[in-house]
Amino acid sequence: MKFSILMAAGLPLVSQVMAAGVKDGHGEAELLAQSATYQTGKPVTVGIRLKVEDGWHAYWTNPGEGGMAMSAKWTLPEGWKAGALQAPVPKRFMTGELPGFGYEGEAVYLVDLTPPAGAGSGASTAECKVKLSWLTCDEKACVPGDVELAVKLAPGDGAPGKDAAALTAAAKKIPQPLQGAALKVEEADKALKLTITAPAGVDLDGAQAFPATEQVVDAADPLKFARSADGWTATAKKSEYATGAPTLLDIVLAGGKLERPLVVSWQAAKK
Amino acid sequence: MKQHNTFLGAVLGAMICSVNAWAIEPGDAAPAFTVKNVKGEEVSLAKQKGKVVVLEWVNYDCPFVKKHYGSGNMQKLQEKYTAKDVVWITVSTNAEGPLSEAKGLADRSKEAGNKATQIVLDTDGKVGKAYGAKTTPHMFVIDKEGKIAYDGAIDSVKSTEAADIATADSYVSLALDSVLAGKTVDKAKTEPYGCGVKYAAK
Repeated sequence: MKFSILMAAGLPLVSQVMAAGVKDGHGEAELLAQSATYQTGKPVTVGIRLKVEDGWHAYWTNPGEGGMAMSAKWTLPEGWKAGALQAPVPKRFMTGELPGFGYEGEAVYLVDLTPPAGAGSGASTAECKVKLSWLTCDEKACVPGDVELAVKLAPGDGAPGKDAAALTAAAKKIPQPLQGAALKVEEADKALKLTITAPAGVDLDGAQAFPATEQVVDAADPLKFARSADGWTATAKKSEYATGAPTLLDIVLAGGKLERPLVVSWQAAKK
Repeated sequence: MKQHNTFLGAVLGAMICSVNAWAIEPGDAAPAFTVKNVKGEEVSLAKQKGKVVVLEWVNYDCPFVKKHYGSGNMQKLQEKYTAKDVVWITVSTNAEGPLSEAKGLADRSKEAGNKATQIVLDTDGKVGKAYGAKTTPHMFVIDKEGKIAYDGAIDSVKSTEAADIATADSYVSLALDSVLAGKTVDKAKTEPYGCGVKYAAK
């Protein structure tokens, strides 16, 4: 239907983004695009929707112990660039005796694909391909999923397409840095003291906290930030795999009284 | 809001010598065990004294284990190091299914081309718990004095892709080469990657 309308309007025939999801193992993945068209030099937000079968879970950027984060390897037309894979807020779970972070049901990851600037009127339809590898586990087994998906984007005005609303909803689950918020990490004996300073009005009471950086905080330790003289403080158990003093830590915060998920980042001062 | 930068200089990190609270650490005496192999014979760690021992946790249904057996990597390591008089013990802590039984484990090991010195059953999980075996694979190297020389991942690339083996640092090989040469293992503890060990439900 849509194609015939486009043709009638004298527009080039564009294969409207995507086939339905592609299944492998216990997951199914699908690409969503903010627009079926792009403007040179302007990023197009693309979503990777991963649906996980009931009873199984997939893993976050920091999978915890065991498990494996999803990888997305893009093959793009010349000059195009893929931004970082942005993962939605995970949940905590146990797989047997291993603590993990990830997703049950559905997770929509976002990535910005940016066409080269200056292609101008010479721009052509771009086929953006991605090779996804994920792992799903339940109590008994782990099963990988490997699929290749593609989305075609035509030169145009970049107007929101049919997936735009779904991507706007997905963006609300992606943690964002908060202006004026900072994280401080101090090593104290076997623990890490984490202090968040945040603008007034940001209330972390009841918020869930997740370590987005691997091998810094023990994945089994439920992080809770409480109001302190310095801001918000949590004492975290150090990961047994930490080698030496920590150098980097990102903490994702969500839920409770937060309007939207946040990420606060820390980096050790260079010596 | 002004950015708070008061944390500069507040990192005490390296100054503090942390005492590890976890069950087993490199340098500790390897916990003793006596288990049955797939032929029903007793295998005890005490009897291997004076030899370098590898413990390899296995579950042939796990994609991370398949990566290393499907590519032939695990068998090559088994062959290479048993030829150097290393005792390689493949341990199945699987609490259920064919891999929890002698025949099932023997059949699957044969099918996989396992070249370990011993293939043993730890169905009650006692050995796994004593060592803190978390994943399949999870590798331990025990030196000639019976001390833990390595505890961790088989290699440095956490994936299920066999193609990644070539570019990964083979932690277990590096540990074994050091131990066999009488040197200190550089990376004695790493985070193991794989599927969770399927312990019996509590």
